[in-house]
Amino acid sequence: MSALLRGRAFRDVAVVIVVVFGFGSIAMLLAHVSPLDGFGALFDGAFGTRSELAETLVQTTSLLFPALGVAIAARAGLFNIGADGQLILGGFAAGWIGAQFPLPGYLAIPMVLLAGTFAGGAWGAIAGFLRARFGANEVIATLMLNYVAVLLATYLVNGPLQQGGAGASETAGLPKAAQLPDLIADSRLTWAFVIALVVAFVLRWVLQRTVFGYELRAAGDAPEAAKRAGIDLGRTAFVAMTLSGALAGLGGATIVSGVLHRFNTGLSPGYGFIAIAVALVGNLDPLWIVVASFAFGVLQSGGVAMQAEALVPRDVVTLVTGLAIIALAGRRVVASLRST
Amino acid sequence: MNATLAAVLALLGLTLVKATPLIYAALGGVVSERSGVINIGLEGILVAGAFTSVVVSGATGNPILGALAGVVAGMALAAVLAFAATRLGVDQIVAGAGLNIAALAAAAFGLVLVYHQPGASHEVPALGNTGERVLIVLAFVAAAALQFVLTRTPWGLRVRACGEDPSAAEAAGINALQTRFWAVVIGGAIASLGGVYLSLAELDLYSDGMTAGRGFIALAAIIFGRWTPLGATGAALFFGFFAALQYSLQRAGVPSELMQALPYLAALVALAGFAGRVRAPASDGVPYVRP
Repeated sequence: MSALLRGRAFRDVAVVIVVVFGFGSIAMLLAHVSPLDGFGALFDGAFGTRSELAETLVQTTSLLFPALGVAIAARAGLFNIGADGQLILGGFAAGWIGAQFPLPGYLAIPMVLLAGTFAGGAWGAIAGFLRARFGANEVIATLMLNYVAVLLATYLVNGPLQQGGAGASETAGLPKAAQLPDLIADSRLTWAFVIALVVAFVLRWVLQRTVFGYELRAAGDAPEAAKRAGIDLGRTAFVAMTLSGALAGLGGATIVSGVLHRFNTGLSPGYGFIAIAVALVGNLDPLWIVVASFAFGVLQSGGVAMQAEALVPRDVVTLVTGLAIIALAGRRVVASLRST
Repeated sequence: MNATLAAVLALLGLTLVKATPLIYAALGGVVSERSGVINIGLEGILVAGAFTSVVVSGATGNPILGALAGVVAGMALAAVLAFAATRLGVDQIVAGAGLNIAALAAAAFGLVLVYHQPGASHEVPALGNTGERVLIVLAFVAAAALQFVLTRTPWGLRVRACGEDPSAAEAAGINALQTRFWAVVIGGAIASLGGVYLSLAELDLYSDGMTAGRGFIALAAIIFGRWTPLGATGAALFFGFFAALQYSLQRAGVPSELMQALPYLAALVALAGFAGRVRAPASDGVPYVRP
């Protein structure tokens, strides 16, 4: 990474910190709460006890997968705004297959995680295919596919693939064998966290040290030059979007297998959208995205305590996240949004 | 009147009700995009219009004042996007996505601040049946007027020039940044009426999630309508018709999710070029930076 990029990344982080604390404080004052009390409750809720720290890492994990997905697409010059839909479909595939086919432990967990990865990847591949074959703008495609994903999962879980009773909007519970084992006892933190870290390191290696990673970055940084150098831009776009969706789908599967132990249509509080902020704050670098996921994980888990202890609505966390995304828009994700 | 005719009329009436907010949002998006600024934040502008109009109507007891305030709020939100897009040259998609998230959360937070309850506002003085009819008719008037303005007036030509090639427009003496700014703000004013319609005409309150993705369906309508006001209005009517039909078809056993997914699927089909040639303004979403 060049020094220029690093300076840019530093500035972005500073801007986000100012936005989060500045606008967060204003919102708290509007709610007649001292920002010291509000942020105090937030950080206490995120770090105060061992189980609270574990919950922060649960949120970190849930953000890390889709953020890595957004980042890998962005490195290829594509904006995947549909990570939420990919995550939800991944979660559905994981939950349904896990409950439908009980297998022994050493097979059940890989099967559940792979099911989510494939479903999310397939959903990302649709946008990648439309882009590669027809030149369809992937931003609009993934945006539209978000809604189709939620509607599809809702239809399947309440209709043809119903397990949890009519109108329950959830699958049957996963058998113990299909649940990711705990990392810290009596918490919701599972080995999903470790998997997420490993995936981040592998992605970083792929991007920096492999031919595929080089082609991907070349397609993103200088598409014209990449094309002249013989890189198939259509193929790269297809693979990048598929991989991007697969990462988000794997994230959905870890939420189902590790946290909820069943699929529920309300499984994502917008992880795929917060992931945009995470990926941008992390400067689209997998390792920095780990750090950024932790920062936004703190906001997510601390927000619950802030609402309970300081009586500041959790919406404030979402509000400052949205404002942070606006502030980060200066970081151009894609060179051009033209459908070519 | 026989029963079938009554049922058909009811369906057409419901189509208008369902289509009107989509028409406003889509028209707002068309003005913005024809000037070269892609407005992903339409959903947020609908939220701003719906929420602000309810709060002001409740505080003043005057729904017309509420509606005006809703429009002002929509313009303000659009101005944020317009400023970021023209003066800061930011990624318009990222900014719009952030705008949606922030607007939805701000309204949810606002409900707690103003009404001391999450989820929904109190009932406030609304525009009533007359107001609803006026807004429905106005949507079609706006569509026709906008089509005329964009294709037949100097301002419309300037807007379109900025959407196709802002450098060439500037070379011809048009201030591309200023033209884009006002196109987005005017688009925000039009789109916010869709929000006002939802909260003050169709209902008399604001509730979380009441816009229900209409800003994104409007984006689909824009594409399906090939970036023209009348085309987008036609697409909005088409989507509104299926939204209205949903209730009858659900009784007939057609899953409602399929009907709800229709606008998005239609947009995907249009994007892929299966519905004839679809071409966005050449510089749609591309920041213009003066050399």
